[in-house]
Amino acid sequence: MVSSRLLKEYRELQNSKRDPEIGLQLVDESDIFVWKADLQGPSGTPYEGGTFELSLKCPKNYPLVPPKVTFVTQIFHPNVLFKTGEICLDILKPDAWTPAWTLMSVCRAVTALLSHPEADSPLNCDCGNLIRNGDMRGYKSMARMYTLLHAAQKLPS
Amino acid sequence: MGDEEMEVETEEKGGDGQRFVVKKWNAVTFWSWDICTDTCAICRNKLYEPSIEAQANPGLADDAGYSIAWGCCGHVFHLDCISRWLKTRSVCPLCNREWEFAKIEKIATYGDS
Repeated sequence: MVSSRLLKEYRELQNSKRDPEIGLQLVDESDIFVWKADLQGPSGTPYEGGTFELSLKCPKNYPLVPPKVTFVTQIFHPNVLFKTGEICLDILKPDAWTPAWTLMSVCRAVTALLSHPEADSPLNCDCGNLIRNGDMRGYKSMARMYTLLHAAQKLPS
Repeated sequence: MGDEEMEVETEEKGGDGQRFVVKKWNAVTFWSWDICTDTCAICRNKLYEPSIEAQANPGLADDAGYSIAWGCCGHVFHLDCISRWLKTRSVCPLCNREWEFAKIEKIATYGDS
C-alpha cells in the first residue's frame, strides 16, 4: 500500500498544474520515499522573496505515519529548530497526523506556518521570546536577515 | 449506461383496438453513492473501485478492499483502509472524531459477482 499511495501522489502531481509556491518533487526518480519541496516565502512575511527547501522523508508505513519533514534551508522561525531545521507542527506528530494528509497538503501546512508563527510552542526560543515579548520588529528584522542570507540567492542583498 | 430501444407496432386499422403495442423495452438507470466525495482519502483510489491494497493483491481472500465503510461522522473509506488506520488511532482521518461504523457495503461491481 505504502509505495502505491506515494505513486498515486506522484501521478496526481504530474497530472496537476505545477504550484509555483510549492515545488514538490522527488529527489531521485528511483526512490519514491524521498522528496523535496522548494517553498516560496509567503508575501507579507519576512520570508517573502526567499526560497526555502524542505526535505520530506516517508517511512515505509506512510501514510499510516507522518513523513519526516525538515527545513534544509536555514530559517529563523519560532517553530523551526535553527540548527537542524526540525519543524514543530501538530499534524506532523503521530497524535495529530491522519492519512488524509498528502505530501502536498503537508507543504501547504508548512507554508501556512511561515505566515502564522506559534510563539507558544517554540523550537527556536530566541525567536519565540522576541514574539512573546511583543518585539515584532526584532523578530521580523532577524527573520528577514536570515532570509536574505540563506534563502534569497536572487534578491539584491 | 446502455442503449434505449423501443419497438412499436402500429395497428393499421383504426377503431376500438390499441393504437400501438410495446414489443420490446430496455430500461436504463443511473445510480451514484449518496456521499459527497468519491475518493478514499486513505488510499486515494475512487470509492467505486477497490482499495489500492486490493488492487495490488487481487488474490486476497479478504474482501475488505472491495467494501466501503461509512462512519457515524458521515465520512467514507474502503473497509480495509479504515481498518488499518484504526489500529493506529481510532479517529476519522478527515474530521478527527472518534470513529464509529455506521454501515458497510460491498462495492456493487465487485461484491456480489
